[in-house]
Amino acid sequence: MENNPSNRPSISPAAVVVAAVFLLVSVIGVNWFTSFVPAVLPPQASAESKSVDELFYILVIIGGIVFFLIQGMLLISVIAFRARDDDPGDGPPQHGNPLLEIIWTIIPALVVIFLAVISYQVWTQNSEPKAAINMVDGEEIAINVSGARYAWTHTYATNRLDADGEPIVINSGDSLHTYIGQNVDLRLQTMDVIHSYWVPAMRVKQDLLPGNPATGGRPTELRFTPARIDGVDYPQAYPIVCAELCGDGHGRMRGSVVVYEDESQFLELFYEPAIHAILNPPADPVLRGEIVIQEYICNSCHVLDSLGWTGSTGPAMNGIADRAGERVPGQSAEEYIVTSVWNSQAFVVPGYTEQMAAFGPDQLDAYYMEAEQLYAIVAYLCTQGEDSDCDLENQTEAIPQAISTVFGIDVDITFGRGESDESGAMADEAPEAAADESETSD
Amino acid sequence: MATIAVPLGAQGELQEAEAVRRPALSEYLRWSVDHKIIGVQYGVASFLFFLIGGAMAMGIRLELWTPDLDLMVSGSAYNSLFTIHGTIMIFLFIIPMWAAFGNFVVPLQLGAKDMAFPWLNAFAFWLIPPAAVVILLGYFVSPAEAGWTSYPPLSTLFSGDGQTLWALGAHLLGISSIMGSINFIVTIFNMRPPQMTIWRMPLLCWAVLATSIIAVMATPFLAGALTLLLLDRVAGTTFFDAAGGGDVLLWQNIFWFYSHPAVYIMVLPGMGVLSEVLSIHSRKPVFGYRMVGLSSMGIAFVGFTVWAHHMFTSLQPELRIPFMITTMIIAVPTGIKMFSWLGTIWGGKIRFTSAMLFALGFLSLFVIGGISGVMLAALPFDIHVHDTYFVVSHFHFVLFGGSVFAVYAALYHWFPKVTGRMMNERLGRIHFVFTYFGFLFTFFPMHVVGMLGMPRRVAVYAPEFQHWNQVISLSAFVLGFSTLIVVYNVIRSYNHGPIAGANPWRALTLEWQTTSPPPATNFVDDPIPFEEPYGYGTEASAAYLDAVDQAFRRSR
Repeated sequence: MENNPSNRPSISPAAVVVAAVFLLVSVIGVNWFTSFVPAVLPPQASAESKSVDELFYILVIIGGIVFFLIQGMLLISVIAFRARDDDPGDGPPQHGNPLLEIIWTIIPALVVIFLAVISYQVWTQNSEPKAAINMVDGEEIAINVSGARYAWTHTYATNRLDADGEPIVINSGDSLHTYIGQNVDLRLQTMDVIHSYWVPAMRVKQDLLPGNPATGGRPTELRFTPARIDGVDYPQAYPIVCAELCGDGHGRMRGSVVVYEDESQFLELFYEPAIHAILNPPADPVLRGEIVIQEYICNSCHVLDSLGWTGSTGPAMNGIADRAGERVPGQSAEEYIVTSVWNSQAFVVPGYTEQMAAFGPDQLDAYYMEAEQLYAIVAYLCTQGEDSDCDLENQTEAIPQAISTVFGIDVDITFGRGESDESGAMADEAPEAAADESETSD
Repeated sequence: MATIAVPLGAQGELQEAEAVRRPALSEYLRWSVDHKIIGVQYGVASFLFFLIGGAMAMGIRLELWTPDLDLMVSGSAYNSLFTIHGTIMIFLFIIPMWAAFGNFVVPLQLGAKDMAFPWLNAFAFWLIPPAAVVILLGYFVSPAEAGWTSYPPLSTLFSGDGQTLWALGAHLLGISSIMGSINFIVTIFNMRPPQMTIWRMPLLCWAVLATSIIAVMATPFLAGALTLLLLDRVAGTTFFDAAGGGDVLLWQNIFWFYSHPAVYIMVLPGMGVLSEVLSIHSRKPVFGYRMVGLSSMGIAFVGFTVWAHHMFTSLQPELRIPFMITTMIIAVPTGIKMFSWLGTIWGGKIRFTSAMLFALGFLSLFVIGGISGVMLAALPFDIHVHDTYFVVSHFHFVLFGGSVFAVYAALYHWFPKVTGRMMNERLGRIHFVFTYFGFLFTFFPMHVVGMLGMPRRVAVYAPEFQHWNQVISLSAFVLGFSTLIVVYNVIRSYNHGPIAGANPWRALTLEWQTTSPPPATNFVDDPIPFEEPYGYGTEASAAYLDAVDQAFRRSR
């Protein structure tokens, strides 16, 4: 039985050989590892993604060395130090080696300090507030993101004014539109629970935290700058994912970031058409309703084949106009639909629960809905069915009458002052790449 | 050189009848204050919960076979599935499972006749069944579906009554955990034999001590958080409701102040098991005993300073850096353990028993969890993979590749002592192969889907991840199947396994210096421990073990 009486560390030639083999295997192995890195990460669509990936690359190299070192020592141990069947004896009574123990305390400590330092550098570089944020037409604008179960809503507070002198707000639904080089700075606010806004291709993520609406909520910020990827045809769409459990439809809470090649493409394909559509809404309330209803998050819960909605937690809206007149005794079809939008808990369809948000003219952000928008939405929903209970011939009177009866509010139906052509292409009809998920097609 | 102390005394004349008598099965169903009975009660109960939680994991993997919601009736049903899976695995499986081994083994290792507070010990155990019933009763109302982390306001304003039951059940389990831990601390400090200084204590006792200190210090925070949650839910308070002046991050801070240390509650005892098993089955002293013992304390201490890394995407940006640094530091004591274990087996004479295979499996898998842990500590990278399958992968490498593998190692190692019979080694090896590879191919690919963009806790995911998920699900079914092998092995070995004898592994710690199973009072006389718990490879230790062997052979 070997007995090493001295406490001094002894390094045998075999150990040196073994160490050399480890080193060789680690170098080859780590090289092999790192060749996979691009394949296991999404596209690098932002400036931030490049520095995060470089950090990850370093982590993989260091982690790879540790991995091969330990697995290698383990493998050698189980092969070399396997007890022979006829050997009932013990191993050498080695109790430790102070030098080795110091080494394997100090070296990992130095490594993690190194990692902390480079992580800190990447972090400060990526999270630093930037000048000239959300530049459009040479001016900064505000881009707000609202998260509500289970959909994102993006709104652009533009510097343009409408006919009444009010600033125009573009609602682009669950799509964020930006262009390469724009310093995006989003203001995020949740309407209900905690959500987390994650754009994998940008390597950014930020939680949305419930705040007190009376004191302006609790907005959080997210910053990134889209970068060019060679060989990509712009505009290109990248998924937005909700990363914090928010309830039944958490997995369906997605959206897309549409990146345009440059500012002029952004203006041409998204911004200007959107403003034009707002300034020149179609005169036909049904056409207008089709646009307006997609600015809200109805698609997160309801099914409606004609718009490609695939929600599951709310009642289907297919053929709603056929049923609307028979749901609640004494209510006309128009009155029923009006009530279902602004006072959704008044009648809960059997088999469903009271989860729909209260939309209305007094609500904040994503739940704010003007009477004119309600009018258009009802006009659109009245066409969803084969044998509508609504008074389709006489919509301009029947629906305002219903709103007035139920809520006592008069509706101004004189929108559509401008050209009443078919140019009502809203934001979301901007081209999106094929890689986009189906939900983003609204 | 100390004289060879052989722990015989009256031991040699152990009553033959009692020496081989196993407690009747009915004794396990009754109130008992015997730590050995309670240990088995903990073990069997928590293993049953492991099977239930495992079946739920199979349900999760079945649902994720396709990118759409098809198996479950709703997203909520899926949410409650992983919520209860996580709750069961953490609160009803791993934590009580370590109480099982701690209860059975620690008093024996200390040469004590029982725990310090036998009645409290029994009471702590008997809180677990009602707590489980309360949590599972949620299925009769609307089960908790806010994840095991139960973040408000999802868990307050947007959840049904099952969430209240969940909080009540977790409360009971916290009480049980605190009582059990106080018992361990008092036992370990007061009931060692005079010859066993704290520096001669087996490393499992060190690990259980560190774990118990964490549990006693951290669990009251869980209790506080749960109390606030319950008040918000049933009494109309607004601790977590912003509209009433509350703050949702309050929950996250208090919850993680408990739940991060709780990760070490779940894994430190496994590390203690590893020190025992690796040393005994490679016939070599634990390399750097003091550093291994102290690193448990180091992990316990640093573990209290890292909680907010769970909040990297919600915390104020300037507060994130300090928590990144503390999180990285905790890799150092963990690394000390890893290298010390490798130093322990290096140059030893390794016996590939099933216990040893699982301990080696722990080493091989836990290192991956450690590496991904450091990656997650790196704030900019964490931002990308936070709340994704990368995290799911990471904590399963730590809690399954770590804790569960250590549970299996402990099972194969101490089963002979508990039942007096050996486990079937061939089945043990088959079990190991299925578990190791089933585990690896289940959880390693999760790193990749997470990095590519799949968040955790979703029943509906982007179709491009389907192939990955099918590989994961298939492997998970293999992993699930492997559990049946060990169930069969335990039942078969309990009835037909070869008689183990007092000390089948020729181990030096005191639990092996009595019959298997031990008599009601554990030792007839106060046992005298060998001068060091892992002093293998010396003539003195060989003489000690021979003397013990002969004494027990004679007594039969």
